[in-house]
Parts: sequence; structure tokens; C-alpha cells
Amino acid sequence: MAEGTVTHIGKRSVVSSRWHAEPGKFCHLSVLDRLMEQNQVKIVYYYPSRGDHAEPGEWIKKLRDSLSCVLTNFPILTGRLHKNQEGHWMVKCNDGGVRMVEAKVKGSVEDWLKSVDREKELKLLYWEEMFHKPYHWPAVYVQVTEFEKGGLAIGLSCCHLLADPICATMFSKAWADTTLSGIMSTPPLFHSLPLTKADYSKIPNDESCTDLINYYKYSIERLTPLTTNQKYATVTLSFTDSMVRDCIAMAQATGASGKSGSPAFEALAALFWVCLSKVKATKGRLFNMSLCLDMRNCLGLDPGFFGNCMVCNKVHLESAGETMLPEATKAISEVVKKMNAEGIKDLIQWLKCNDNQTVPLMNDYDLICVNLEGVNPYLATFKDQLEPLQVSYYVEPMVGPGQVLISRSAPGEGPLSRVVMATLPEDEVAKLCEDDLIQRFSPAVLMGTNKN
Amino acid sequence: MPPTLPDFSSSVKLKYVKLGYQYLVNHILTLTLIPVMAGILVEVLRLGPKEIVNLWNSLHFDLVQILCSSFLIIFIATVYFMSKPRSIYLVDYACYKPPVTCRVPFATFMEHSRLILSNNPKSVEFQMRILERSGLGEETCLPPAIHYIPPTPTMEAARGEAEIVIFSAMDSLFKKTGLKPKDIDILIVNCSLFSPTPSLSAMVINKYKLRSNIKSFNLSGMGCSAGLISIDLARDLLQVHPNSNAVVVSTEIITPNYYKGNERAMLLPNCLFRMGGAAILLSNRRSERWRAKYRLVHVVRTHKGADDKAYRCVFEEEDKEGKVGISLSKDLMAIAGEALKSNITTIGPLVLPASEQLLFLLTLIGRKIFNPKWKPYIPDFKQAFEHFCIHAGGRAVIDELQKNLQLSAEHVEASRMALHRFGNTSSSSLWYEMSYIEAKGRMKRGDRIWQIAFGSGFKCNSAVWKCNRTIKTPTDGPWADCIDRYPVHIPEVVKL
Repeated sequence: MAEGTVTHIGKRSVVSSRWHAEPGKFCHLSVLDRLMEQNQVKIVYYYPSRGDHAEPGEWIKKLRDSLSCVLTNFPILTGRLHKNQEGHWMVKCNDGGVRMVEAKVKGSVEDWLKSVDREKELKLLYWEEMFHKPYHWPAVYVQVTEFEKGGLAIGLSCCHLLADPICATMFSKAWADTTLSGIMSTPPLFHSLPLTKADYSKIPNDESCTDLINYYKYSIERLTPLTTNQKYATVTLSFTDSMVRDCIAMAQATGASGKSGSPAFEALAALFWVCLSKVKATKGRLFNMSLCLDMRNCLGLDPGFFGNCMVCNKVHLESAGETMLPEATKAISEVVKKMNAEGIKDLIQWLKCNDNQTVPLMNDYDLICVNLEGVNPYLATFKDQLEPLQVSYYVEPMVGPGQVLISRSAPGEGPLSRVVMATLPEDEVAKLCEDDLIQRFSPAVLMGTNKN
Repeated sequence: MPPTLPDFSSSVKLKYVKLGYQYLVNHILTLTLIPVMAGILVEVLRLGPKEIVNLWNSLHFDLVQILCSSFLIIFIATVYFMSKPRSIYLVDYACYKPPVTCRVPFATFMEHSRLILSNNPKSVEFQMRILERSGLGEETCLPPAIHYIPPTPTMEAARGEAEIVIFSAMDSLFKKTGLKPKDIDILIVNCSLFSPTPSLSAMVINKYKLRSNIKSFNLSGMGCSAGLISIDLARDLLQVHPNSNAVVVSTEIITPNYYKGNERAMLLPNCLFRMGGAAILLSNRRSERWRAKYRLVHVVRTHKGADDKAYRCVFEEEDKEGKVGISLSKDLMAIAGEALKSNITTIGPLVLPASEQLLFLLTLIGRKIFNPKWKPYIPDFKQAFEHFCIHAGGRAVIDELQKNLQLSAEHVEASRMALHRFGNTSSSSLWYEMSYIEAKGRMKRGDRIWQIAFGSGFKCNSAVWKCNRTIKTPTDGPWADCIDRYPVHIPEVVKL
């Protein structure tokens, strides 16, 4: 229909505002970066309409100018991918710039949000598959969509080689800071993952393989299944502070096993694990699930670290009885505890030694649950009090049984409130929403599947 | 020196002989006048005062004769001062500095080129080769409409670019000179390739609410040398209108002229032309004498349009697919050389010191009478000028002129650096170069500057300025934030 169609105005490049006087500089990518070659991170930020009636195109111009300024500090995003002598991807900082698409939509952003679904939301993101010659292919695309009756949507699509959702959020905040005041609160740092000399001297052999390494080994060696024409739908559920507290309480019914680092994530992850298993009809057994966690704190990295730092691991629960939820939570909690600095460093070491050319499509076999609590996307305020109305995360391409992304809510809704985005095959989404356990908490549906 | 004795030209002795010769010829009048005056003084002293009074009385002057002679002297003096051409002063000028967000690095330009000309890899390769050898840097700017894939050169975008460039330059000029819009008597705008109705000069009059009896002119289609043509026109008008201010705006609007086809000869301007503009305030008011930066000494215009090859050298036409572009012919450099020679022949006698002119005359006579095989003497223009501003049309133009006029690297530095930082900004490039010299603190009172511009037609125009007051650094202007980085070494071929 006419209302709600996204019209592209134009596509152009945005380059950094200052020329780097060192042409030909290269940025190397870590082993964790290189694993994510086939994936993309996509984030959509919605901004409300305000009283000030800006002219059409005025915000687009402002954002373009500030994007230009902020890109001066992120040379890795304006460069182009190149394969080095060992056949690994690296970024040549040639100042090529990011691609920006300008678009407009009739109606206001509030109207859009009332009737948005996965398909519509993906129209606010622009992406082009890698060209045959990647040297002319920008790895970052930004789409700025102006709503004619008020409001703005910013869609950021980034190749997963360069950034994970955490640092993509960080980039958006830096951009917002630059638009607002010209100063970034957390300037980015680009360096390789920390590995001390002691770690290098350890020779990994089969006995010292941990679960983590096994998981990665299995993922890499397994043949990628053929992509099917499965249609997916995404539902966004908002859990308020009190709902999450209830969930935690329920999940810890069988004797709390001590304090865990992120009770909200564990409880919600367990909840969705149980519910999705029911939806997928695995008869009492819990569906295979992997967790994807941010390891920045674990490895003691500076908050400004820019690069992939999310590690996945499988959760096991052989069978669960009546108390499915608490047992699931316990299992998740144990896996989270086990992913410590030592384990990650061993993994990095192993990946370095077993570097082969085949890169798996991560997240394509199990159900995957991603913890994005580490960042607050609502800090990206582009103008005084212009906080995002809503933020959606996507990790594409979507293949496999499903994906659950747990991120923070808008401020003012309590410290434990969370937003859960679940992407599943179309037919399973409705079943999920109607599930008893989920209905017990009655979360608000921010984005569902629209039948119109 | 005539090349019949080339081996000795590096000898120090010959250099001193040369210097002595130049001093002798250039100051011949002084040198002959001094002995004459000395002789008269000696004679007067010898005669003694009584003898002089007797001499005076014997002349039998009476009142009528004295009155008539004095009237005659006053009359001649008045006629002389009235018929002397008015001095034209350049009070100040302002160059447009494009915003950093319009910057086009090499990588972006080539990427866009590849995406737009995806069906013609050969044309893309050609553009890359041109860009590598162009002498441009990574900070040149294109207008916003050209940044799109594909470019969106609408009339509105072209007007938008014209407004940004011209109004910025004019605002800057007003601020620098304290000029009030109502005081502008003459307005000349030159922009070769964009000529809307109403004209760009009307646009300026509308924006700044200039007077209704203003004399406005809009020159279009005259190529990159139109800037100096505008200066010439302003000069002629200022001779007719006393006590007036003239504002000259030189610019080139890139937006409507981006060539969308793939004919090689027409792709060159896409690679070289960049956004830029300048606004200049000229005046013939005596009060401006104290604060003016320069005084206009000569303007020499040479037009080779009578020759068919020169006429078709830079030609705007449609290619095989019907797309309009400017085609540059292969013998552009040769024609430019011819035009330059013509211009030099006219300007030489006006600016060269007597020593060089005498040498040139002697060589000319020698060639005609004695031996036609003598190489023509190329006068040494470095003795006539301290600074050279060569239109930054491209690296080849600057190289060619450097060779022909035997200029050193420092003389052409302003041109090369302006090409590197701003690209080929067409008629305004001379003003960016002038600004560079000022920013470097090299402009001293009494310095003579030669501006040379080439343009389609084929034209070669020159202007000679004399610096009126030493210009102190730091100057504000387009070079303010980057002058410390210059001069920069520009490699023959930049690896892309």
C-alpha cells in the first residue's frame, strides 16, 4: 500500500572528513573476526517525531555530515576487504567510505511501528552481497529513512567480519555523540585480541580440548546444509522489570546455586529454550541450543575495543522433568560460568593453529541465543532528548531453526527489563506467542506478524 | 644567452658579465643622466653666481612670456594627468573553501566510476590512469549531486551549487573588505558551462539586494580563461566610471556537466574538474590606494580562434550515444604552446627589462639577416616577475609552461599545490594560487605577479599585478588549515 512503502531517494558514499596521511595502511582481522565472514550485523534505530518541523532532507544532510566526522575515527569501516598473503581477510584503509542510502516513507514513525513486521523492517536496511571483486565492495551500509509525517529510522548493516552487534552499537553511539556535541565518550580502540606470552607457549593437543573447542571444531568441520527457502518471521517481545523478576524467581525455584552474572539473560534464555522446544515439538527433550556471549569483560578488554568478541557454546540438558525451567536455567548458568578467560584464550590459540580456509555459516544448525545485554543502544541520542523509540537487532542471513536475541530495553523501564527478538520459521512464531509459559508473563508485543 | 656558446653558460665569469650587461642596459638613462648633470653642476660652479645672474638677464624675459610659459606647462600637465589611465586596485579577494564532507578520495572516485560505467571496463581503466597521473590530491571536492550513484545533476542541484559557492565567496569578501552590498557599482560573474535564466549575476543581485542601477554582466561559454576576461572588462568599465567598485565572481559549476557517457576524450574533465570559486573586489577609488593588495598593471588577451585546429581543440559536443561532453583534442598541448608564444610576444615588450628586449631584438635581427638557423631567444621572464600563477588546468599544462618559460620548481609550486589541494577549479584556480603565495608569506611590496590562463577557443590571457603592500601571514583563506602541510611531493604516478 502507498502508506508504508519505502522509496529510495539516492545512494552515495560517505567518506571520512579528514584525509589519513598514511595511505596503504592495513588493519588485520583476528581469528574471531574471520569466523564470521558469512554473516552480517543489522541494527535499526527508530527516532520519534518531534515538535520542530525540520525540512525534508534536513536530517539526512545533518546525519551525513556527522557520519563523515565520526568515520575519521573508524578507518576500519571505510576501508575495503583484501586477502593477504596467507589468504586471510584484512582491511586496506583506503578511505573508500561507507555506502549511504537515503529513503523516505509516507506516514509517521509511530504509525509504522504499529504495523511493522520482519519483512517491512528489513526494508529499512540496505545490503548488497559481496561483489566478485571485493576491493570495490563497501562492508558497511547505512540507510537513513525519513518519515514524511515525522520521525526517522537509521538502519546500519555491517559485515560481521568487522564488527559484532556490541561494537556496532558502540559505533552508533559514537555517531550520535558526534552529531550532538562533536565529542565521543568512548573513542574506539583497534588492537588484536589479548594473548600473553604464556598462552603462546601452550601447545594445544587433543587432551586439552575443552567443550568450547570441540563445539567450534564440530561447527567448522561439518558440511553446511543447503539453504532452504524457509520463510522466517520475527517477533519482538518486551519484558518489563517486574516480569523479568518473576521469571528469575520461577527459574530459581530449585535451590539457587549462588549468584550468577546475568540472571535476567539466563532466566529469559531458559524460558525461551523451554518454550521453543515445546513449539518445535521435541517431546520432553530440549531442542539443541547454543549461547552466544560477549567476552569483553572476561578477557579484560577496554570498553572501546572494536572487533568481534562474541563466543558461542552449546548448552546441554539431557532430560528435564517437571521443573524444566529451573533446570534449564541451571544448565545455562553452568555453561556461562565455564566460559572464562582461560577457555577463550585456549580457543583463540586453537583457532590460530587450525586455521583453514573453510569458514562455517555460524548459527545455522542449533537454536542460538545471543546475549546483547552488554550495551545500551538507547544511549544513541542524536539530538537533545531524541532517544530511540525502539531498536531492533538482526544477525543475518537467517538459516537454521531459530535465533533469539536478548537486549536491553528503553531506559525508564527498570534495570532488569529486556527486549527479546525471536526469529523463527513463520508457522512457529504464532505458536510461540500463544505458549502458556510466555503468556504467564504477558509481555508486550512490539513487533509481531501482521496478516495485512 | 644565445646558444652558440652553450658550454660557457654555467661558468661563473659569464654570469657576472650577464649581470653587468643587464645593469648597464636597464639603467642606461640613469647612467647617462648622471654624467650630464655632473657636467652642468661643474660648469655652474665654475661660472660663479654673478655670471649666472648676467646670463639670466640676457634672456630678456618679460611678464607675458613667463605667464604664457607657465600656462603652457600647467595645461600640458593637466592633459597628461587627465589622459592617464586610472589605476585599478585589487582591494582584496576571497576564495571558496568547499566543506570537508564534499571530499572525494581516489578510492571513492574509482569505485563510483566502476559502478556507473560497469559496462565499460576500458573507460574505467582509462580514468584510473588519468587520475594516477593527474597531480590531484585526496582532498579535492565535488558538489553533492555528483556523489550519488548514479549522479543526479538536476537544475535545482546546479543552482544549489552555484548558490553555495558564489554566496560563500561573496560573504567572505564582504567580511574581509567591509564592503556594503549597496556600494557595488559593477558586477561581473563568469561561469562557463552553467548559464540559467535569470543569470547568475541576477541571482547575486537578488540575494544581496544590490542597487537597481548596477552594471551587471554575465559571461558564459568563455572557458577557463574567463576570469581574466572578466578582470579586463572590469578594468575597461572602471576607466569610464570614476570612483567605482567592481566585484568579479569567477567560478565553474560542476553539477550539470558531469559526462555520463564513455568516450575517452570526454572523460578527462570528470577526472580533473572540481568545485571552486572566487570573488574579487576591484576599485579605482583613490582612497583604496592604501589598503589595496595589488594594482593591475597589464592585461593581454590573445585569441587563436581564427585557426580551425585551435577552435576545435576544446569542443563541447554529443558523443555517439547522444550524451553531451567536452572533447579535448590530442594536440591540446601544442596549441597551448602556440597561444602562449603569441601572448608572450605581446606581453614581452610591456614587462621585460630593456636588457632582455635588446637581446631579443639582436637575436631577431641576427636570425633575419645573418643566420636563420639561430634558435629564437626566449626572454628570461624570471627577471620581469617574482611570482607566476599558471592556471592549474592539469599537470601537463604546468609541466609544459615550466619547460617553455624555463621556470624553477619554486616558481610553479603555487600552481602544482593548488592543483593538488583543489583540483582544476577552472577560472578561479589563479586566485587559489595567489592565495597560496600569500599564505606562504612570499608576497612582498613591489613584487610583480603574472597570471596566465588558457581556455577554450583557444585563448591565452595574461594579467600582470604589482603588489601594493606586503601581505603578512597568517592569512585567512582556503589554505589556512593546511598550508603547513605544503609543499608536498607529488609523485609521477600515484599507486591506486
